[in-house]
Amino acid sequence: MPKLTIDNQSVEVPDGTNVLEAAKRLGIVIPHFCYHEALGAVGACRLCAMKFEDGPVKGIQMACMVTAQEGMVVSTLDAATVEFRAHVIEWLMMNHPHDCPVCDEGGECQLQDMTVAGGHTLRRYRGLKRTYPNQQLGPFIEHEMNRCIQCYRCARTYQDYCGGEDFGVLGTNQRVYFGRFRDGRLESPFSGNLVDVCPTGVFTDKAFRFKSRYWDLEEAPSVCPHCGLGCATIPGGRYRELQRVRAGSNRQTNGFFICDRGRFGYGHAAHAARPRVPLVDGQEVDWTQALAAARARLDKIIAAHGPRSVALLGSSRAGLEANAQLRSLARLLGTDRVVFAAHAPRDWTARTLAAGLGAQASSLDDVRRSDCLLLIGADPLAEAPLLALAVRQAVRGGARAAIIDPRPVALPCATAHLPLAPWRLGQALAALGDNDWSRFEGQEAVFLEGVHEALAGARHPIVIGGADLLGPAGMRQLLELARRLSREDRPCGAMGVLSGPNSYGAALLAGDGPDFEELSNAMITGEVRALICLESDPLTQAADPAHAGLALARLDLLVALDSLPTKTLGHAQIILPTTVTAEGAGCFVNNEGRMQTFMRVLAPGLPLRETGGGGHPPRLFMADTPGAAPRPAWEILAGLQGRAASLAELRDALAREDVRFAGLTALAAESEGQRVADAGLALPATRVEDYVPRDGELALLVCEALFGSEETAFYSAPLDPVRPEPRLILHERDAGRLGVTPGEQVRLHSAVEEVVLPVEIRADSAPGVAILPRVRGSLVEAFVPGVGPQPCRINREVDHA
Amino acid sequence: MPEWLITLTLILVKLGLVFFVLLTGAAYLVLAERKLLGRMQLRYGPNRVGPFGLLQPLADAVKLLTKEDFIPAQADKFVFFVAPGLAAVTALLAFAVVPFSPPITLFGREVPMVVCDLNIGVLYFLGLSSLAVYGVALGGWASNSKYALLGGIRGLSQLISYELAMGLSLVPVVLMARSFSLTDIVLAQQSVPFALLNPLAFLIFLVSVAAESKRIPFDLPEAENELVAGFHTEYSGMRFGLFFVGEYINMMILGAMITVFFLGGWLGPWLPPIVWFLLKVLAVAFFFIWVRGTLPRLRYDQLMHFGWKVLIPLSLLNVVVTGAVLLWRQG
Amino acid sequence: MNLWRDIKGTVQPFWVTLRNMLRRPVTVRYPEQKRTPPPRYRARIVLTRDPDGGERCVACYLCSAACPVDCISMQAAEAPDGRRHAAWFRINFARCIYCGLCAEACPTLAIQMTPDFAFCKDEPLRLVYEKEDLLINDGGKDREYNFYRHAGIGVVNPRGGNDDEYGPVDVKSNLP
Repeated sequence: MPKLTIDNQSVEVPDGTNVLEAAKRLGIVIPHFCYHEALGAVGACRLCAMKFEDGPVKGIQMACMVTAQEGMVVSTLDAATVEFRAHVIEWLMMNHPHDCPVCDEGGECQLQDMTVAGGHTLRRYRGLKRTYPNQQLGPFIEHEMNRCIQCYRCARTYQDYCGGEDFGVLGTNQRVYFGRFRDGRLESPFSGNLVDVCPTGVFTDKAFRFKSRYWDLEEAPSVCPHCGLGCATIPGGRYRELQRVRAGSNRQTNGFFICDRGRFGYGHAAHAARPRVPLVDGQEVDWTQALAAARARLDKIIAAHGPRSVALLGSSRAGLEANAQLRSLARLLGTDRVVFAAHAPRDWTARTLAAGLGAQASSLDDVRRSDCLLLIGADPLAEAPLLALAVRQAVRGGARAAIIDPRPVALPCATAHLPLAPWRLGQALAALGDNDWSRFEGQEAVFLEGVHEALAGARHPIVIGGADLLGPAGMRQLLELARRLSREDRPCGAMGVLSGPNSYGAALLAGDGPDFEELSNAMITGEVRALICLESDPLTQAADPAHAGLALARLDLLVALDSLPTKTLGHAQIILPTTVTAEGAGCFVNNEGRMQTFMRVLAPGLPLRETGGGGHPPRLFMADTPGAAPRPAWEILAGLQGRAASLAELRDALAREDVRFAGLTALAAESEGQRVADAGLALPATRVEDYVPRDGELALLVCEALFGSEETAFYSAPLDPVRPEPRLILHERDAGRLGVTPGEQVRLHSAVEEVVLPVEIRADSAPGVAILPRVRGSLVEAFVPGVGPQPCRINREVDHA
Repeated sequence: MPEWLITLTLILVKLGLVFFVLLTGAAYLVLAERKLLGRMQLRYGPNRVGPFGLLQPLADAVKLLTKEDFIPAQADKFVFFVAPGLAAVTALLAFAVVPFSPPITLFGREVPMVVCDLNIGVLYFLGLSSLAVYGVALGGWASNSKYALLGGIRGLSQLISYELAMGLSLVPVVLMARSFSLTDIVLAQQSVPFALLNPLAFLIFLVSVAAESKRIPFDLPEAENELVAGFHTEYSGMRFGLFFVGEYINMMILGAMITVFFLGGWLGPWLPPIVWFLLKVLAVAFFFIWVRGTLPRLRYDQLMHFGWKVLIPLSLLNVVVTGAVLLWRQG
Repeated sequence: MNLWRDIKGTVQPFWVTLRNMLRRPVTVRYPEQKRTPPPRYRARIVLTRDPDGGERCVACYLCSAACPVDCISMQAAEAPDGRRHAAWFRINFARCIYCGLCAEACPTLAIQMTPDFAFCKDEPLRLVYEKEDLLINDGGKDREYNFYRHAGIGVVNPRGGNDDEYGPVDVKSNLP
């Protein structure tokens, strides 16, 4: 712990801290461009100069490059350093195009701030400016190289932190250029972070281009709703439209960056078909009428068929408060048929994880600090992209990472991959736990043995399992493995990759209640006559959408609360529009049990660009905001119970009622969040075994895709250009047996549907498994991931014809 | 024609005349005030309605009559209705005892040019000016507004305080005229007006009367930069109009009173008596306007200090001195 | 002596007011007598064009940020030729206080103030001026200025084609 003196104040900092950070601790802000906490120091911008007056180093030095040492005496206000910094700013501005009025960075531009702060107001340089050509970098990023000040932040973010390989530094001396070798879409799914890290306007958000200035945006700390990791985000809205999302910072989860799915998935809030007014039998009504109608019809059904004829379905998309309100509505109605996920296997996996994670819970930060990682049945880039970044940071720090997965999982870092068929993942977990390789042979046994040795010898091992491929039984085995690998001196962490932002919270509320399969069976037999559906879309989410469709069709009453134009709304008699994440406040519990609150960014309403038809807003005085009817789901559900409640009251009640959520009342936005308390729930009983194909048969495995299968992101227009085409991935051995060539159309016969798809042939997937990434809105929409392998048959389309 | 009918007719005609002259006078006094204040501030004043803005009072009346009559929800409605009337009526009634000319002979009968020549005219006038307090106090209280209430309280204490000095400054006048009748008081000034005979009483009366009329520099009950509009904040339309008209009628009455008590009433050479009377009244009115254009508003403590510690002792002293002088001259 | 000073201070102003009463009023009788405001008078706001006839406004939002009464609103958009312009631009003159901060903030000299002050309407909505009401076919006070000829992002001239610029560098060259 060296102690040093900065501007006559002394500060003690941990070993290895640089002087810039030490000054920050004292509240002394020194302008800097290239230093970034996550990226480290390179000393490229020359702006953080300080005068070292006494100690091991002397003279004007770059504070970010000097490690704090005992006895240093540093001055930031020394006349020579102030002049030095002023000169640096002046020459950084030499080639600047002076186009702030047309630059989207204007207003949140570090270069603007530093130029003003450095006192550079008069341009003295009369020579010519250097210019660069720009590149087309795809649908997300706009490139304007003339504004560059060569701080290298972009290259360090893209290449070093995110592991992208198609973007970097080119050129020499005065022609240093940050871009791709040739025009083209940035391949990394983390490319959007360039917008956040660039201190000037070289990289700006293309979807947000020319929409608003920073100072006009309504912003509030929020949590990303596009996967189970719960990354911190800061959405910004203006004119009743959610216009962009930038990364927030939470050291325990995402750190400083987010993925492109989280950054560009905000478009669902402005979806044209979004439900905006309460509807009863297709008639627009006001809230009082809608709630009264819903309540009256429910009461009628309860009177005729008893309280258990009403079922309630929550979801992992809705916040904790809304799901809890659903539970209390169920109690009020007197029914125990309340389910919190439309996908039964995922539901049980999440419940297993929530019940058994306990002390093994690991955050993304733990993953970043880990020295040995095992990912089994998890494809971070498709299911939880920021996990891939965390794994990369661990690997950069010297960790070893092993992946056991039937899919050709490719992380942006060096990993060892064992393609193992999905039905053998459980065996692998058991083998790793028992240290018994008898059911494996050759390379597989060697691989598993190596993994076991590495895990056993590591100081911070973490095992990470994907919910979709492991299923409840596999998740249970994963937790068991983590426990068996834990020792007194050194616990082994565990992490489950869940699909929804609040899957964990929904699972906690579900406890050992019924699942959706039970519910849909009861609907088909007529025991359940009415369903209240909270931000859930069984028709695309349920493990068996066709069965869910049959069940919904038999209902007398479907009350749907949703913010998205889902298919289920088509069956609903009563539609109650809810707010999206950014329009209402609430709390999500992420995949490690971390409760995080999100705040209201903007009020719901029809975007001005729609009411104005692209031109100026309508010229009339109105008392009501168009499209402002959606309300937070918790408010509607409280209304159905006949009370008006504030969020704080609901949280208080929930925290009092359920000891696991005791931390909810003290939860602040923009904090690191708080883990739910461990209540020692019993693990739910595991269920049926997976389908195991016989020799020579192909098993179909449906899985997630980065931009294609997440529900909310599907409704987001900015992601449309990167939506993948549906394809079937075959191992080269199976492809050879079937005689198909890459890109060829094949016909897939399965229990779900018969579809014709192009084929991608890989050598690094598991043989005997046909992998189908789900793409919503395409011909493979009906295939739902997370149901285990299924029997299938594949023919070449040429033969079929 | 019976005698009583003729008397009644004459009284009614006099009443009508006085009413007409007073109301028209008040209206045009408003215009004159605005014009004169404008000129003092190098402006023109109202000049848009009619030639030289002469129809402005008419336009104001139309405006006041057609405006919405607004009553605050929490107001005491009856008192709220009564207060403006009280303010205007007490002002009007005071004119009953003012003689504006010596009696004239009409159709062979002597007609006194006063509505009612009471032998206790001075007391009647003092009584009515005391009643005028009610208009302000009740209006301020009934509005149920903090500004109005504060204005009402200020008005109440100000009017009561200055009434004392006003009454006391009239004692020497009564002593000198040896009568409470206003006609007698005027006639007592045949040789020298009392203003010259007893200038101290004149000055005290002038100041007290200015305070009684709630005009600058004594407009604390309606100080607009502190109390919005003081006691009549919540009044609008013709109810406000009554307060407003009341104030200007009051100004005419007080002008008339100063004329009668100190300036020798209708007495004067060459011109007919009624013209002298009007001229003197208008001169006093001009003086009040001039004061308004010149002096700033007093602070409340200054107002009270001046009333109680300066005017009242002075007027008491004046009573004693005047009495002594009169006794000495008799003796 | 204090009393003497007080009496003097009370009496003297009467002379001042009386004297002023007899002087000529300085009032200009507006509708009959009209004065020409000076050319830099701050009244009705216009949007000007650059010497090439293009809209000067780049919808940078600086005027709306500077406006103390929030009477300016706009939406920026990108034209097919790469120019940033206002898709719509609205000034609510019923709210404007003619302080001129918008014109001062404007980096492209687009928003300027004219001496036309007499344009009141009896209907507030008719005082809400849209872009087509504001845009004039003139450069206003500085006719020669064209922002894009100084901002080096290649909109009016090709990239690197402005007077103060080198042509675009060849990134792939290794020559010193």
